[in-house]
Amino acid sequence: MAAPTMKERQACWGARDEYWKCLDENTEDASKCKKLRSSFESSCPQQWIKYFDKRRDYLKFKEKFEAGDFQPSKMTAKS
Amino acid sequence: GPADTGRQGQPQGPGLRTRLLVTALVGAGLGGAWLALRAEKERGRQQQRTEALRQAAVGQGDFSLLDHRGRVRCKADFRGQWVLLYFGFTHCPDICPDELEKLVQVVRQLEAEPGLPPVQPLFITVDPERDTVAAMARYVQDFHPRLLGLTGSAEQIAQVSRSYRVYYSAGPKDEDQDYIVDHSIAIYLLSPDGLFTDYYSRARSAEQITDSVRRHMAAFRSVLR
Repeated sequence: MAAPTMKERQACWGARDEYWKCLDENTEDASKCKKLRSSFESSCPQQWIKYFDKRRDYLKFKEKFEAGDFQPSKMTAKS
Repeated sequence: GPADTGRQGQPQGPGLRTRLLVTALVGAGLGGAWLALRAEKERGRQQQRTEALRQAAVGQGDFSLLDHRGRVRCKADFRGQWVLLYFGFTHCPDICPDELEKLVQVVRQLEAEPGLPPVQPLFITVDPERDTVAAMARYVQDFHPRLLGLTGSAEQIAQVSRSYRVYYSAGPKDEDQDYIVDHSIAIYLLSPDGLFTDYYSRARSAEQITDSVRRHMAAFRSVLR
């Protein structure tokens, strides 16, 4: 399988950003972003989708952490 | 206060002046000898350092790889040129294209300044399994006309990565036989002697890297004959 070209990469990133924006606007409620999710999935290789999903989790965590909302004891207790 | 001391000192006359003069001369002599000794030591240290650098320049970080046109390229081929080097892979989702874009932006900024030596952009794959010569050719053309993509056998890639302390590890394959390669991210600057001169993490902007390269260029003295 050939790597995505620059055009394909940009299409994928564009679809990803639209989907992420939708999640931001709907407080992470993915059921409200189904259309954009499927456009994201059809624009990117499957492996990248998995990677970007994880990356979003990480970025959200980082945001919380940097905002000081992150409380380690609670998180540990939950898991 | 200091004014009082001055007035008290004066009546003692030439006696003090002579003593002061002798002290000053002896002091100057000792100081001079000490400075000469220190300079000599410094010269010795500099010579040792130059010799160590020269040896490193010849051997360290050497490689023999294929460029994206199928030509063999080794480190010695880039002697006399500044090199900006990045390790990555063509199936990379976001970081490698971002970093390569940044790297070529630095090259373009430096190219636009008259009087600066040219900089050779290099991209070495850490995914030799998929990144063949043809795959590299397709990939590098999107970034810069002079960007060279380098690939090689699994052993050759392992060796060059080791010599630049680059970690990489391919993740599990999915149904499409696709995978992500986890790897360390840094842009390396090599001097015209082929010596590792500086490196830039992801947090550094193109402008910051350009400034740093410019400073290294201004300070550069070759250690090779």
